[in-house]
Amino acid sequence: MRPRMLALVGSLLAVVVVPLGAHHSFAAEYDNTQPVKVTGTLTRVEWTNPHIWFYLDVKDDKGVVTSWGFSAGPPGVLQRRGIPKSVLKVGEQIVVEGFRARDGSTNASGGTVTFTDGRRVFTASNEDALPQSAK
Amino acid sequence: MTTRLLVPIAGLALLVASSLPLPNAPLHAQAQPAGGQIPRAADGKPDLSGIWDTPKAPGGRGGGATVFDKAKMAPFKPGGEALFYEPRTGDPRHDEPRAFCMPSGFPSAFLGPYPIQIVQTPKYLVMVTEFMRVTRLIPLDGRAHLKDIEPTFYGDPVGRWEGDTLVIDATNYKRWSLDDWYYQNPKEYRMHTEAFHTIERLRRTDANTIAYQFTVDDPKIFTRPWSVDWEMKLHPEWEKTGLYEMVCNENNRCEGGNCAKK
Repeated sequence: MRPRMLALVGSLLAVVVVPLGAHHSFAAEYDNTQPVKVTGTLTRVEWTNPHIWFYLDVKDDKGVVTSWGFSAGPPGVLQRRGIPKSVLKVGEQIVVEGFRARDGSTNASGGTVTFTDGRRVFTASNEDALPQSAK
Repeated sequence: MTTRLLVPIAGLALLVASSLPLPNAPLHAQAQPAGGQIPRAADGKPDLSGIWDTPKAPGGRGGGATVFDKAKMAPFKPGGEALFYEPRTGDPRHDEPRAFCMPSGFPSAFLGPYPIQIVQTPKYLVMVTEFMRVTRLIPLDGRAHLKDIEPTFYGDPVGRWEGDTLVIDATNYKRWSLDDWYYQNPKEYRMHTEAFHTIERLRRTDANTIAYQFTVDDPKIFTRPWSVDWEMKLHPEWEKTGLYEMVCNENNRCEGGNCAKK
């Protein structure tokens, strides 16, 4: 099971992000003109409906740590895509790309997660944004 | 985990044992007429049961949301355009009620990027979308629409067979979004009135496809009914897990886009 899982995750490379909402309108909550890409340590994962949330501690050049929250797809959508909860491990350093919340907070949509070994998973809401190679 | 593994194994055994000529035929198919392409239920009706992708234009792939194409719509009646387009106001409770776990309504709940499971019996067609597990129970016994009831988000559907085509006629809708907030125009979204009347025609054209014609009849907005022709594609591989649970209120921590207060 585990090798199969990893193979699935590995197949989700070369991702094209087309962020669209599934539970609610992406446009209402996130600003697609404000892309973000942050690197940090995963501190918490809420693998719950209607969207998973995960949190990163991100340290800037001066050593100041900011907590970022990322909203991604529903658990069921991710599981069907081959992304189980165990993919996101607290304590791991990851890179997350997404779009900032319109409220100006350090929340964002979590479109993709890249691990230190180069694996990348597509965590956004809309299945339509899957790369063709993953279908 | 062991039990979850046994389910697909048992399903695979059933598939092999049934010797169906098409590898993607659904596991529940009960009869296969000689030379026929479509599975049939015990009562001889085409069997629409299975887990299907969202209705899309023929050839459409992926799980993206489906919206109505403006080019397919009938002309507006005088005043219809103002009823159809609902300007966004900036108030998320008005602009995006789903963000507060309000219903999507029909058809929009069934147009999102989520699988739809159909369970067919002689008396009912049951359609369940993974999106919030919205369920339609469509009686097939020839009954008329309910009278003197309050309109609802999901309407009052009744079904009947016309040959091999299942026709679902629904009325009694509350004024609500037509094709959802999947419609991404930042200035407005699209509504139907309480006069909304929908006609769905489902015909299984091969082992993996339902031709799904959707007719919009809203005499307060449009000069005549208009239709779109979509397809639903069968996904037997989704039977392994079935529909996943999706509960809006479990952790809706960013409602209306207002995350900072949480």
